[in-house]
Amino acid sequence: MSEATRTGATPYDEMHSADGAVRPHYQPYERWLHEMPRELIDRKRSEADIAFHRVGITFNVYGAEGGKERLIPFDLLPRIIPGSEWRELERGLAQRVRALNAFLADIYHGQEILRAGRIPADQILDNAQFRPEMKGVDVPGGLYSMIAGIDLVRAAGADGRGEFFVLEDNLRVPSGVSYLLENRKMMMRLFPDLFSRYHVQPVDHYPDLLLETLRAVAPAGVVDPTVVVMTPGAHNSAYFEHSFLAQQMGVELVEGQDMFVQDDVLYMRTTQGPRRVDVIYRRIDDDFLDPLAFRADSMLGVPGLMRAYQAGHVTLANAVGTGVADDKSIYPYVPEMVRFYLGEEPVLNNVPTWMLREKDDLAYVLDRLPELVVKEVHGAGGYGMLVGPASTKAQIEDFRQRILAAPEKYIAQPTLSLSTCPTFVEAGIAPRHIDLRPFVLSGGKQIRMVPGGLTRVALKEGSLVVNSSQGGGTKDTWVVD
Amino acid sequence: MPLYDIAHDTIYRYDSAVLLSQQLAHLRPRDCVGQHCLAHTLTIEPGEGRRRERIDFFGNPVTAFSLQAPHDTLAVHARSRVRVKPSTWPERAGSAPWELAREHLRKGLSGHAPLQDDARDAGQYRFASPFIPLGDPSARLGDYALRSFRPGRPMVEALLDLASRIHADFRFDPAATSVATPVAEVFERRCGVCQDFSHLMIACLRAIGLAARYVSGYLLTEPPPGQPRLIGADASHAWVAAWCPGVGWVDVDPTNDMRPDGAHVTLAWGRDYGDVCPLRGVILGGGGHRVEVAVTVTPVGSGALPQHAARER
Repeated sequence: MSEATRTGATPYDEMHSADGAVRPHYQPYERWLHEMPRELIDRKRSEADIAFHRVGITFNVYGAEGGKERLIPFDLLPRIIPGSEWRELERGLAQRVRALNAFLADIYHGQEILRAGRIPADQILDNAQFRPEMKGVDVPGGLYSMIAGIDLVRAAGADGRGEFFVLEDNLRVPSGVSYLLENRKMMMRLFPDLFSRYHVQPVDHYPDLLLETLRAVAPAGVVDPTVVVMTPGAHNSAYFEHSFLAQQMGVELVEGQDMFVQDDVLYMRTTQGPRRVDVIYRRIDDDFLDPLAFRADSMLGVPGLMRAYQAGHVTLANAVGTGVADDKSIYPYVPEMVRFYLGEEPVLNNVPTWMLREKDDLAYVLDRLPELVVKEVHGAGGYGMLVGPASTKAQIEDFRQRILAAPEKYIAQPTLSLSTCPTFVEAGIAPRHIDLRPFVLSGGKQIRMVPGGLTRVALKEGSLVVNSSQGGGTKDTWVVD
Repeated sequence: MPLYDIAHDTIYRYDSAVLLSQQLAHLRPRDCVGQHCLAHTLTIEPGEGRRRERIDFFGNPVTAFSLQAPHDTLAVHARSRVRVKPSTWPERAGSAPWELAREHLRKGLSGHAPLQDDARDAGQYRFASPFIPLGDPSARLGDYALRSFRPGRPMVEALLDLASRIHADFRFDPAATSVATPVAEVFERRCGVCQDFSHLMIACLRAIGLAARYVSGYLLTEPPPGQPRLIGADASHAWVAAWCPGVGWVDVDPTNDMRPDGAHVTLAWGRDYGDVCPLRGVILGGGGHRVEVAVTVTPVGSGALPQHAARER
């Protein structure tokens, strides 16, 4: 999950240019909105709420009262991306994911990038996400992260144009694609007439693409692979999505206890007896996969699964050990990976990042804490970060002590002026900060994605944290031609 | 050159039937500098379970097996014949200052410089691992280590001094700790068994920037006439190897305050106990269990095998 950063300058607005004019790709929408009575919009909003409740699209917020499920707020005003912009993004995303997969293959085999000194070895070896168990294990197609979620934000450039930056790579179990699909369904149901004014590129084939991707990475020689979705169970925050995707793909949704390993082959129990499993789309962390190989106290996994995996009898998607490539301490090196493995210049830029393990960076950052965003390198989900401009003096001082105690655990970034998109709020329509998470699928030789991605919106005024675990909402995302 | 026969028997008795058992065994002595395994058999009762041999990520042979028929006793009998060459030790005084090892690792691992293969291998054993976290106590452990690792002192000399101090400061007490006792607690309480002392020493070395690995193995059960019996001789044993540039891995046994020299047989090595424990498994059913472990290491041609039963140390 990503955290967004805070604005100093005027942010780039997706709908309006700096002089207040409506950007061309939003003009048909603007005209439509103008014709719509406000009461009708309000009615549609409550219709959407009821429908989401009925479908059961919910999200657990950890630490919230009783950990109970709640709706992720859905905003009716779509985020629109021109087709030309998307094609450039798509090129950059495919390049980045290709490089990240090449990096993972290298790190678990020859470690050429370490030998070449392009990444300091301790960033890998002293990283709990690096899994020695994966050393020398050959995975189908050399692919590790078949399903990647790349978090993008757009900041205002000097010329007033918005520039996309990669905020974070999610290579383990990125979630959120069910909202992307349901948001589109909801929009088409509430405002069918809107879709006659735009050529919105479809996204509803995502489950088909996902299934094709999973089948493409089946163990060699398997002609008609059996694919399953593995969930930690109904208490997981993304359980809705696990069941949703299994249902959409027409495959079984299983928990660890539904499977067993015999003779290094994985089976699931069915009413017709054991059935061999070839590909697991697992939505469970490495640590819990196999109590024999990882956490011995895991009740969620399958003993012997790692052995079946190492023997090449089953494919895990995503592979074990991908976390070493999406850690915040590795993030600064991704552009270098693109150059090293692909011999290309990165299409998508990183947010400039200071690594506090470096003395000079540390001194620079400590001088400017109130302006910067500081993140824990192993943190996720918007927990354990400091947003300087939004923090009190006491909070900043408290964080300074934490940094000084273990500087290598932190990175810092400038507070970007994250782009905004008009959003329905109590008082009417107002700009709110947004990000974008496209889902990138790698299977066989192809890298594919559905146009757009999940747009998350920080609903509180001025807030930059868009994570659903921190109370953000979502928008439908349109790529239009 | 000494030739040993090793018998390592492990027997689990369960209160009720185990329906399914998946086990990983690190029981075949690995070949390494100064050691060659001439013969090895692993007998598993009940029956011949399904098994598969492979090499794990640290280069150790590992046997994975599963039992799918109900059983209330699991017995694993390992028999090995191993030739051991007494190690040729770098002269204490001749070895380089210990800081060289630290610098070599620091430069190799944290800089933007090409990484040498030896440092890359050593780097695997330089950082925290599941049984050896380097959190809060690492500063205290580092201080403890630095009293041996004084500036400019030759690496091997400092290493042996640290082992001696651990041997002197800590009491051997099989009742004091369990497999799960954290290093910090061992350090507080000043007692434990070979596994604890090895973890402690590794933690000390890593805390000051050195690479150290955990060696699982055996000791000769009955010493040659006139020599004392070593601690840990009737069970699995463990000691430490530290990395020294230009020399390689240097073994040292803090439990016996000595350099392994012909009476130690290496089974496997890893970052800590968790990587190489002789037998580890997940079972379905079984209720409570009791375990008996017996290890004997006898020079070939010495006659009858003495039998010792003791809990694993």
